[in-house]
Amino acid sequence: MASNFSGALQLTDLNDFITPSQECVKPVKIDRKPGKVAKIRIEDDGSYMEVAESGEEKKLQKAQITLNDCLACSGCITSAESVLITQQSQEELYNVLQENLRLQQASEVNKKKLVVVSISPQSRASLATKYQLSPQEAHHKLTGFFKKLGVNHVFDTSFSRNFSLLESCREFVRRYYESETNKTALPMLASSCPGWICYAEKTHGSYILPYISSTKSPQQIMGSLVKDYFAAKQGQTPDRIYHVTVMPCYDKKLEASRQDFYSDLYGTRDVDCVITTGEVEKMLEKENVTLGQVEGNTAYCVLSGFGSPDGGLGSHLGGGSGGYLEHVMRYAVSQIHGSSVDSLQYKTLRNQDFQEVTVEIEGKRPLKMALAYGFRNIQNIVQKIKRGKMTYDFVEIMACPSGCVNGGGQIRPMEGQTNNELLQRVKESYDSVPCVQPDLWPGVKDIYEEWLGGVDTEKARAMLHTQYHGVEKVASALNIQW
Amino acid sequence: DKIIRIWGKEGDKWVCKSILAEGHQRTIRSVGWSPCGNYLASASFDATTNIWSRKEGEFECIASLEGHENEVKAVSWAPTGLLLATCSRDKSVWIWEVTEDEEYECASVISSHTQDVKYAVWHPTREMLASCSYDNTIKLFKEEIDDWTCCNTLESHTSTVWKISFDQTGHRIVSCSDDKTLKIWQEYLPGNPEGIDTIGKESAWKCVCTLSGYHNRVIYDVDWSHSNGLIVSACGDECIRVFREEEISDKNQPSFSLVCTQNRAHSQDVNSVAWNPKEPGLLASGSDDGDVKLWEVVLD
Repeated sequence: MASNFSGALQLTDLNDFITPSQECVKPVKIDRKPGKVAKIRIEDDGSYMEVAESGEEKKLQKAQITLNDCLACSGCITSAESVLITQQSQEELYNVLQENLRLQQASEVNKKKLVVVSISPQSRASLATKYQLSPQEAHHKLTGFFKKLGVNHVFDTSFSRNFSLLESCREFVRRYYESETNKTALPMLASSCPGWICYAEKTHGSYILPYISSTKSPQQIMGSLVKDYFAAKQGQTPDRIYHVTVMPCYDKKLEASRQDFYSDLYGTRDVDCVITTGEVEKMLEKENVTLGQVEGNTAYCVLSGFGSPDGGLGSHLGGGSGGYLEHVMRYAVSQIHGSSVDSLQYKTLRNQDFQEVTVEIEGKRPLKMALAYGFRNIQNIVQKIKRGKMTYDFVEIMACPSGCVNGGGQIRPMEGQTNNELLQRVKESYDSVPCVQPDLWPGVKDIYEEWLGGVDTEKARAMLHTQYHGVEKVASALNIQW
Repeated sequence: DKIIRIWGKEGDKWVCKSILAEGHQRTIRSVGWSPCGNYLASASFDATTNIWSRKEGEFECIASLEGHENEVKAVSWAPTGLLLATCSRDKSVWIWEVTEDEEYECASVISSHTQDVKYAVWHPTREMLASCSYDNTIKLFKEEIDDWTCCNTLESHTSTVWKISFDQTGHRIVSCSDDKTLKIWQEYLPGNPEGIDTIGKESAWKCVCTLSGYHNRVIYDVDWSHSNGLIVSACGDECIRVFREEEISDKNQPSFSLVCTQNRAHSQDVNSVAWNPKEPGLLASGSDDGDVKLWEVVLD
């Protein structure tokens, strides 16, 4: 079974022992009534009926396993993530759109869902490269493509990334000052990569979690923006919106299914479905069209990501994984020292995916930050923290070598093209979008005021921050030390 | 028993010189001396690999390499002493670098095998790594640009490959398997006179000899002497066997013959055998029966 997850996730779900007696860790509440004997009969339709001694029949409830339950348990026969991942795919999007169409035709318009698709800039760069379009053209044509299928709005997660970057910056400075009294304030570790988060929760548990930034990823902030801010503006409750994101990796599907991003009140997720860049490619193939052939749609609103002063797309400094180090360092220097940095000097260490930046601060110790992409570099960071030999104040950790532009869900190289050649071109496409400082994007300041009541309010903390949970390894036949 | 014992020869006898206990929480599956002899690495089922430093006859645990998801099966030092390789049931092979200040950092995590990796060993002279697995293959790894990748996969065994050993030249490998055979693999460099196809700058490796019918059970260990070219095998049928390449042997189709068999070498499975690197003909064997035995192979 092909595993498309990042290396970090793949290594945490390995098992070649098959123990049929292995209990699934899912805490399904089975009402065990001691002493009673019953038979189970399987009906023609596949449902299970419990037949008691008295002849009384009762339909048994199907045990439901969600993606999240399987993340916690390493005991099942199959790699559960791979199996359940099919719940989130372009098929689901098609189902929702078809249902909308049916409701439209049945004149039950009120039951229709408002369908929103938020595209990540890395996915856009991958598609733009494949179809030989500029990012701007790709955006317009993707908007046109989705709208033609029945999607109502198309947004860009570059916009929500502004919030993720700003919050990360503020959080860092706060933790920097706290570090005199709080041992786990620094180093701060970036939190936008779910491959890293799942690995940290499963393998290092409560040890490493305090160091991870509480700031949500751009995907999840977009989830909050769409289901709370945008929903209100549209006069809809969150459950009436179906929010799809287009992401460069499969790990993002796991992020969207986290319990922390599920609203009990409305019974809805902030992000309902994540499809990868490759899955969008499949959709285009299904519709028998290349992106270049699609008629562009220039409709936009503030969430569409047009951050550039000339009204075009905007991006952020610091590379294809969001630029967290770049922004945190610049902000920290400006806040702690009151000066600004022209450009950061990155020094490559052991390999291209491990780089560090040092900025001298007059009167204080220098600020040191690092980029650590890929499992081997994550290992070294975690081990250094464990042994108390960490010298960095902030680390931008990403599970994929070369970062998000090289995610497992991106479009694959063509015949005769190497991975590296394609990666270079996708990077070029990504970098061709002009960079704008997060606080200068149109709409960012307004939304902080209008939606959150300002910076650092209780609502801001609820909407823009999250928490992590260490996964306890359940004692089972598999874990017994022989 | 989670203990490492260091044995040394005093006069005519072999004496247990040191006992390294409390280093690991579970079975220690493999140990290896560094090329300089001042360090010992121990790989354990507790998922860690410890590095012990020898100072004036005393051993001290100076580092614990963590990261593998489950049981570590083997550890091997590169000839330079600056790299180590570990492999595990988690299907991955890890490469570690020794830094200037004696720190051990992860240089690469290679997930090429599809099953439990039983053993990993460095090439005697080049910076190349070989590993073998429950997935029936042997894989070779090299550093390319920024990371380590698999440059060759050797397929022929029909069951778990337990162990591999390079010959002195490093152009041949002997492998032993659960399929009860030993196989000899020959390296063919690009532009080889035999006309074997190679890809780019990579060598090709072909299985040039299979020794079958000699062993009655799974072969757990094999070692190719770098001093006299003898191959010794450890088998689940309690026997130790020694093989030699015949005088008249074609490089591309070599013939090996059984020199001698030690029946009932142990009272249970023979798990490991190794030639003494300095004394040709001297070999050690270990078994499920708890004994370590030293043997002298006398050739006519």
